[in-house]
Amino acid sequence: MRAIDRRGWVYALMALLGFAALAAAGDGYALRIATLVGIYAIAAIGFQLVFGHLGLLALSQGAFFGIGAYALALATVELGVTPLPGLLIAVLVPALLGALVALPVARLESHYVALATLGLAQLALLLATNLEVLGGANGVYGVPPLTVLGVNLAEGWPMLVAVWLGVALALALGGWATAGRRGARLTTLRDAPLAAPALGLDPMGYRVGMFALAAGTAGLGGGLQALDLGVVSPAVLRFDVMVTLLAIAVVGGRGSGLGAVAAAALLVPLPELFRGFESGYLIVYGGAMLAAIVLLPRGLDGALARMVPRPAPIPPRQGTVPPRLGVALRVEGLSRRFGGVVALDGVSFTVPSGRIVGLIGANGSGKTTALNRISGLDRVGGGEMWLGKTRIDTLSPARRARLGLARGFQHPEIPADLSVFEVVVAAAPSGEAAMAALDRTGLIDRAREPAASLGPAARRGLDLARALATGPSVLLLDEPAAGLTAEERDRLSSLLRRLAREGRALLVVEHSMDFLLPLADRIICLDAGRVIAEGTADTVAADPAVRTAYLGREVVS
Amino acid sequence: MSRLFHTLVAALVVMVTAMAARAAEPVSIPVLVPITGFLALEGTAQRNGAVLALDTPPAGVSVTYEVSDTATSPEVAVTALRRALDRFDPVAIAAPIFGTQMLAMAPIANRAGVPLITVSGTAKITELGHDVVFRFFPTDAVVKVAQARYAVRELGVKRPAILYQTTAYGQSGHGHLVRTLAELGIAPVLEEAIDPGIKDLLPALERARAAGADGLLLQLHSGPTALAVRQAHGLGLGLPIVAGSAMHQPSTAALLDPAALKGVCAETASAPIADARPAVKAFAVAFEARFGTKPDAFALGQYDGVRMVLAAVAGGARTAGAVRDWLAANRYEGLAMSYVSDGTGNMAHDAIIVCYDGNSRVPRIVKRYDAVDGIR
Repeated sequence: MRAIDRRGWVYALMALLGFAALAAAGDGYALRIATLVGIYAIAAIGFQLVFGHLGLLALSQGAFFGIGAYALALATVELGVTPLPGLLIAVLVPALLGALVALPVARLESHYVALATLGLAQLALLLATNLEVLGGANGVYGVPPLTVLGVNLAEGWPMLVAVWLGVALALALGGWATAGRRGARLTTLRDAPLAAPALGLDPMGYRVGMFALAAGTAGLGGGLQALDLGVVSPAVLRFDVMVTLLAIAVVGGRGSGLGAVAAAALLVPLPELFRGFESGYLIVYGGAMLAAIVLLPRGLDGALARMVPRPAPIPPRQGTVPPRLGVALRVEGLSRRFGGVVALDGVSFTVPSGRIVGLIGANGSGKTTALNRISGLDRVGGGEMWLGKTRIDTLSPARRARLGLARGFQHPEIPADLSVFEVVVAAAPSGEAAMAALDRTGLIDRAREPAASLGPAARRGLDLARALATGPSVLLLDEPAAGLTAEERDRLSSLLRRLAREGRALLVVEHSMDFLLPLADRIICLDAGRVIAEGTADTVAADPAVRTAYLGREVVS
Repeated sequence: MSRLFHTLVAALVVMVTAMAARAAEPVSIPVLVPITGFLALEGTAQRNGAVLALDTPPAGVSVTYEVSDTATSPEVAVTALRRALDRFDPVAIAAPIFGTQMLAMAPIANRAGVPLITVSGTAKITELGHDVVFRFFPTDAVVKVAQARYAVRELGVKRPAILYQTTAYGQSGHGHLVRTLAELGIAPVLEEAIDPGIKDLLPALERARAAGADGLLLQLHSGPTALAVRQAHGLGLGLPIVAGSAMHQPSTAALLDPAALKGVCAETASAPIADARPAVKAFAVAFEARFGTKPDAFALGQYDGVRMVLAAVAGGARTAGAVRDWLAANRYEGLAMSYVSDGTGNMAHDAIIVCYDGNSRVPRIVKRYDAVDGIR
């Protein structure tokens, strides 16, 4: 169920005031500025999907804007397509290209994404400038005006209405793509890039989809601009367009479609206000931009959120998470090297269903490396891993998670912008399942609180809850008791025992022996990447090799 | 009868007063030119030429104007045009040198019936059937013919290399150069497109040498032209250079040592600083006094264009439509040349060749090509 976001009313009031001002000014110039605002807002709403929601600085959005403009111009001028179907082409061509571009680019991170997409934008500009079929430096001119049912929408109010219908469409699409569980998953992919695959979230699928949607939206903006100007030239592919979109997204506030519209309404007319400065207007414009970024570090939407906070979604009633029980984890000959350092060397063990296995060892002995290898976050190295009868060592971490392998982290990545419920629902098959997981970890009463407000113990509980929400048969936990009070440890022990009794297999890495030894059915001790002891807690604790390597010798004076 | 007479006299007085008031009422001629971006140099020359003309209107004509930057995108130019049309009710507009902007502006100005006065060289702007575009600078069909003919017939170049910009200006000029050379029975040994952002032309110049070129034809913007001339001199290429109109600009020559300019020639519509005619000299002095820079052909072309509009206003054309018709139908003796429309808005039909002697940055007019396109 969705909570009512009062910020929507604030934006609606701003839109109303804007249109009132427009009606008062009423001339073609004011209408043209408002039309331009709409065109850039459409492309910026799309950019928010990739930049804001995926956190990728994809500098190709301006190029997709231009590609949409060229697609429409060529379709209408060269192929005789009428403008309305031409707009569809302006959306589809960049969307398809966006998906194709995303296939390689989606594997990259941070500045590499920026570099790769910048290269694409430069390529598009070079092609447009030099290919005769694209009109060369002059571009394509004579684009017919938009007509619908014989009515000419070339300029003025009709064009304005057509463009702002496009804004509404882009907002609706953006809202659909980022609403509810999908939105929580996007935020998790952005803010918890390590945890997300271990929760079954496949970054590639989301990135390809969002790139395509963002590119299609940019194409719609570009197509409308081509119809508005009647000319498409390489100028539409220049980096200026991308800079404008980036500025709108930053000033609008990360990920906010409505913020992007408000920022476009603020930034697009700004150069016009400073025209009186003649050649000096760029300096004034740059100063105004700088002031906006300094004064609004989280953008317009962020500033508004401080005054009118976003309400957390109202969670559904509690349901159940059906676990896939009776599946054991088996590891054979697991190995991993980091240069000359052997982190894992032929490690083999089994975690049967219904059992808790503790993995101990000194720092650097290979415990976390083993968890990374098993969960698939590290896929380099040798050995076989089996989940029941399924060999998993060639599978992606998301695929392993979907087969029932869940993982908790030593330092949980919790997206700060989400509520407690949203953090868990991102990993759950349903809202009800998320609530069931929160109930098990004692966080159900805090479901609507911001995740950022939780203390360290509650954050660990939240990390465990979202792992449980995936319905795992095997659970890997990395130091779950670190930093907990005695009372919190007791509660955690009880929960882990219950989870095992229900038929799950638990592999727990822990340094705190007073927590782990009473809890685990069996203990495996690693030293320098090798298993040096395995057995019950008493057997392992008494093993001289373990005592030497990890627990320490008793000194008798 | 007497009462009727008095009424008629009173009506006549009112009409005459109203007409006088209308004649004194200022006309608006906005200046929309690129004063930022890669065409800032040319656009500023345009601006200054237009402003000098607008600041000194003929007797009885009062003018208001506002300068707006169109930068280098059609979108900004169209917005500036929309503003000018809606807010100033102009009789004419000094319009950008950038052809791509003109292509976007022309249909809108055509619907409004407002003349666009430009020095843009892009051929297409006068080929689309809009009767509001008036170009006061010879097209490539004029200046490129002059450039190619001078290189071949006067300098004896038989194996030219062409370096041209990857912009509308460069591509259009390149096409005309190749066509004219073919008519003269010459095939270029190298045709190389140069991006405006390229900062080193040595590889292109070396390729020209390797191709066995005996002359260099440049169709580059101001900065790249200066770079090509400087690097050709540094390389000791020793080839005659006939450059595009950018080379005649004082601001381009200012980027070079006079020695590097020895033997370098350029086509242009006019060369105000090299022209000995008293009226042109007076213009050059007034221009430098007002703006602190020397005028070039773009400034003079725009000056002449705006002066012709003002002449139309002084001649009774008080509306945009009347100015358009006046421009289309009349000949105007400007400072650079005699302007008359060829029926599509091309007003300039003459070209000149200027050359530098290696001692000064002021060139000498060495050849005039009048009525190259057959329009007199």
